[in-house]
Amino acid sequence: MTASPTAIDPAVTGRAAALDWVELSGYPTRRNEAWRYAPHKKLAELSFGPPVALTTSVPDLGDLIPALDGPRIVVVNGVVNTELSTMTGPTGLHLSSLLDARREQPDRLAVHFDRVKSQISDAYMALNIAFGGDGAVVRVDAGATLEVPIHIVDVEVPDETRNASCTGVVIELGAGSSATVVETRIGVGADFGGSNIRTTITIADDASLEHVLLQNVPASHMHLSNIDVTQGANSKFLARSFNLGASYGRVAYRVDLAGSRAHADLSGLFFGFGDQVLDQQINVVHSAKNCTSRQTYRGVLDDASTGIFNGGIDVLPGADGTDAEQSNKNLILSDRAEVNTQPRLEILADEVACKHGATVGQLDESAMYYMRSRGIPAVEARRLLINGFADQVVDEVSIESVRTWINQRLGHDDV
Amino acid sequence: MTAPMSESTRTIEELTSADYEYGFSTDLETDIAPPGLDESVVRLISSKKDEPEWLLEWRLKAYAAWREMEEPDWAKLEIAPIDYESISYWAAPKQKPVLDSMDDVDPDIREMFDKLGIPLHEQKMLSNVAVDAIVDSVSVTTTFKATLLEAGVIFCSFSEAVKDYPDLVREHLGSVVPVRDNFFAALNSAVFSDGSFCYIPKGVRCPMELSTYFRINSMNTGQFERTLIVAEDDSHVSYLEGCTAPQRDENQLHAAVVELVAKDRAEIKYSTVQNWYPGDENGVGGIYNFVTKRGRAHTDAKISWTQVETGSAITWKYPSVILQGDRSIGEFYSVALSCRRQQADTGTKMIHIGKDTTSTIISKGISAAHGQNTYRGLVKILRSAENARNYTQCDSLLLGKECGAHTIPYIEVKNPTAQVEHEASTSTVGEDQLYYCRQRGMTEEDAMSMIVNGFCREVFNELPMEFAVEAQLVGISLEGSVG
Amino acid sequence: MLHVNNLTAAIGGKQILNDLNLEVGDNEIFGLLGPNGSGKSTFAHALAGRDGYDITGEVTLDGADLLDMEPEARAAAGVFMGFQYPVEIPGVNNMYFLRTALNSVRRARGETEVGARDFLNVSKKAMDLVEMKEDFLYRSVNAGFSGGEKKRNEILQMAIMEPRLAVLDETDSGLDIDALRIVAGGVNALRSPERSMVVITHYQRLLDYIKPDFVHVLVDGRIVKSGDHTLALHLEANGYADFENDLGDASEQSFAGAQS
Repeated sequence: MTASPTAIDPAVTGRAAALDWVELSGYPTRRNEAWRYAPHKKLAELSFGPPVALTTSVPDLGDLIPALDGPRIVVVNGVVNTELSTMTGPTGLHLSSLLDARREQPDRLAVHFDRVKSQISDAYMALNIAFGGDGAVVRVDAGATLEVPIHIVDVEVPDETRNASCTGVVIELGAGSSATVVETRIGVGADFGGSNIRTTITIADDASLEHVLLQNVPASHMHLSNIDVTQGANSKFLARSFNLGASYGRVAYRVDLAGSRAHADLSGLFFGFGDQVLDQQINVVHSAKNCTSRQTYRGVLDDASTGIFNGGIDVLPGADGTDAEQSNKNLILSDRAEVNTQPRLEILADEVACKHGATVGQLDESAMYYMRSRGIPAVEARRLLINGFADQVVDEVSIESVRTWINQRLGHDDV
Repeated sequence: MTAPMSESTRTIEELTSADYEYGFSTDLETDIAPPGLDESVVRLISSKKDEPEWLLEWRLKAYAAWREMEEPDWAKLEIAPIDYESISYWAAPKQKPVLDSMDDVDPDIREMFDKLGIPLHEQKMLSNVAVDAIVDSVSVTTTFKATLLEAGVIFCSFSEAVKDYPDLVREHLGSVVPVRDNFFAALNSAVFSDGSFCYIPKGVRCPMELSTYFRINSMNTGQFERTLIVAEDDSHVSYLEGCTAPQRDENQLHAAVVELVAKDRAEIKYSTVQNWYPGDENGVGGIYNFVTKRGRAHTDAKISWTQVETGSAITWKYPSVILQGDRSIGEFYSVALSCRRQQADTGTKMIHIGKDTTSTIISKGISAAHGQNTYRGLVKILRSAENARNYTQCDSLLLGKECGAHTIPYIEVKNPTAQVEHEASTSTVGEDQLYYCRQRGMTEEDAMSMIVNGFCREVFNELPMEFAVEAQLVGISLEGSVG
Repeated sequence: MLHVNNLTAAIGGKQILNDLNLEVGDNEIFGLLGPNGSGKSTFAHALAGRDGYDITGEVTLDGADLLDMEPEARAAAGVFMGFQYPVEIPGVNNMYFLRTALNSVRRARGETEVGARDFLNVSKKAMDLVEMKEDFLYRSVNAGFSGGEKKRNEILQMAIMEPRLAVLDETDSGLDIDALRIVAGGVNALRSPERSMVVITHYQRLLDYIKPDFVHVLVDGRIVKSGDHTLALHLEANGYADFENDLGDASEQSFAGAQS
């Protein structure tokens, strides 16, 4: 293609094809494995389209988000809010809004927008391609080591339009670089609405990324996260997800270990109350030799909440020497709560060591008894046990202020 | 020097590509219906069998349901489209109509079973196994009937049961697998030809192992047998099933249904050694095996499925237990071997309804050559199932670079008192294990066979001793009875 | 009975054994000592036929060329190796394993196979030798065995296989004193005019119990010193440093005297 003075906007070019995809393939149903337990009726009440401008004043973020030093990009109702954002950061870091990046460097966003039919997993991803025009772009130069975390905040304030904002995050780590990115998704108000956010991450050879996802939108919202990661040789990806808010909170990862000896370590906590449905869809694809991966997911389900874990390890032909592990453990705290877990292994290579385990159970009664016999009241003993269970994931986060924020959300005061 | 892995790959190919021993066919005079399926074929089958009106109505209802249903496509199987119009839905060996004694069995059929190692003369048989021999669609003989009847145990062909015990059949037929359950079950319900029926009265411990031996012989025929086992309160039965088929270039369809009813405190142990023709190394021919097996366990009852699945080009089967009664127990022990171009998608469903119900799943999948092996299982704990327990262990062994092993479990828990534990692993045979055995003088083939058998040990241990002979069919011979 | 002539072994291009020469006569026990990484285990595996080594030279047992043989053929020819790390084989019971091994070897030699009952008698005797209880036979091969149990199992296998040449690779490692006594007792009981043994060890501790006819010291893939059992005592007192220094100072020096 010849360079033209007016660059071609990838969001606009991809839009028609994406909408055609929805037209042709329709919305997911119970028959789609990845959407088996999702509340499809409720999802159908959302409306998807271009951003709906905020009609009220911008909410005070205050305690809604963890206090982090460093640059941040704040997206409100699908549009970057420059007043709340600090785009400048240390040397080697380049931050911009997705909208600006589309104007200035459209070709660099191909990885995010140019999706052929087979790469579109479902209608919600297609709608995000069609309407997800703004968001954040994080680029880290080769060799740069960033000491401060980068914070990307998404705030939703829905109104009677029942809109679900579509936004995008593009994270690109140059060879040998290292960075930490925290994505916080929150919302304000009791109106029904949602967010549909797609993150595309590219980690070049020898680079290392810690990516923390904090999903804590109000219970009146629905939230869809889709994180697509491609890893180069010897790279390292640490994913820490906390799926806490929303009536339906979905966190979907697809991690492609495309370069040899790459390592992916994903862990996540989902903690449901009320009638929340918290859904984790994890796919780790081993496509290169000698890669390692680990998945550690913990679910705690109280009241009438539902937890879903659908985690796959796919070892493609030729990915010999793969070493992959997966563990999902769940605590059910109420007789109305439920857990659906599906730990999958699909192996098409040789000399592979894979294992997975899943458990569903309740609080250890003997541990409860032991603590109570030492004088700890039942309520306190229960809380301690639950905290201990959740801490298996919380402790994996490297940033202390994020751990504090999570613990406060979980009602832990001991940090 | 040979690279370590390629050597063991070669070995497993040699080990698993041993000629299919049971590939011969027998010239039997056969009564066969023209290919194709419509209502008239269903009526023909029913009239050939001289069935009562209610059963014809039941078949027609199933046929109507089947017409509306679609073939399931969720399994990890690549299957050439099945042309249901090219299949003949009725084939039966012609033989003397009435059998006064075993000696009246057609000598050709007797010879065929002798060749399979299943002598039908009672005096030649293992004295504690009764056999129902089914060729193509029809039961040709059942041994030890009289001995069993003394104990009150009914063991006969399904057709005889319809004539002699219509009330028992009518009460339980379709009670565990309803006609509309799935595409293949509906098809079976419409056209099933024969099968085994077994009834154990209250408090009776069946005095011998019951066994059905299935043989597909004719070309271009489907096999649709139906097995129904009813164990009344406090009874006990162990049932064995073996299957082989001739080597042919076409794919042949086998769609069976097995229903088990274990009433209060009853126990049914159901073992299968499935060795239908698997097709050749290029994937030509072989049996398409689509089977629906399910049991309902009432209060304090126990149903145990053990299967060794080594044959068939396609295996699609999920022997399941509905744990309906309080304290009922469900077990599933499985070895599935996929080599050549075989594809197996098999596992179980444990549906916990009653309180204090327990299920155990041990699955061992072995993939070699171009084989694809999938464990697919569901453990469902309903809200009513207080204190339900499940333990699942799925291990896969990969022998070679072209094969695949997949583990797809579904765990659905709606009760907080449940304890569900699932473990899975995938591994290969260790070079050090092979070397150790060879240093002790074993050939590489023997060493491989021994290690693979060791991998399957927990499941083989569940097979009744009488089946050890049958288990030789697996090509990875069972180790000696020592220990 | 065993001639080792200019044996070299390399793995992945790295030379481990350098022109090793050795003679073992009938009814001999000799100790092969050396520091870690000197090539002791490689020597054992070179005799037993493990894959993955590039080997040159000549090794004959009773005139038969071992190097051309597969591991199982070497076993049939009478080579038994006691593994330093006996391999676990889940699901395969010990007795079945042993009987299959014995009968494989007997078959290869054109001898009649041993039936289940006779085998039980044979194995009972062997079990007494290493002070094992009968349930040992019914457990999976080495799976879940303690270190001592694994090593006793190796001696049990040797007793049953009745090899011409036994190569015991660090059979004493990881053993407490009781297990060591049992293992050594087993080895001594199995001395026979038709059998020779190579006892590989890092420490001379085992040689307090098994008195070798000769002792060879292996350093950097060569035999640097040979002598009688007193050499082992000398090593205990002085360690291997002498020899390592010798070798470093005079690497061109020939140790032809290693032949016994």
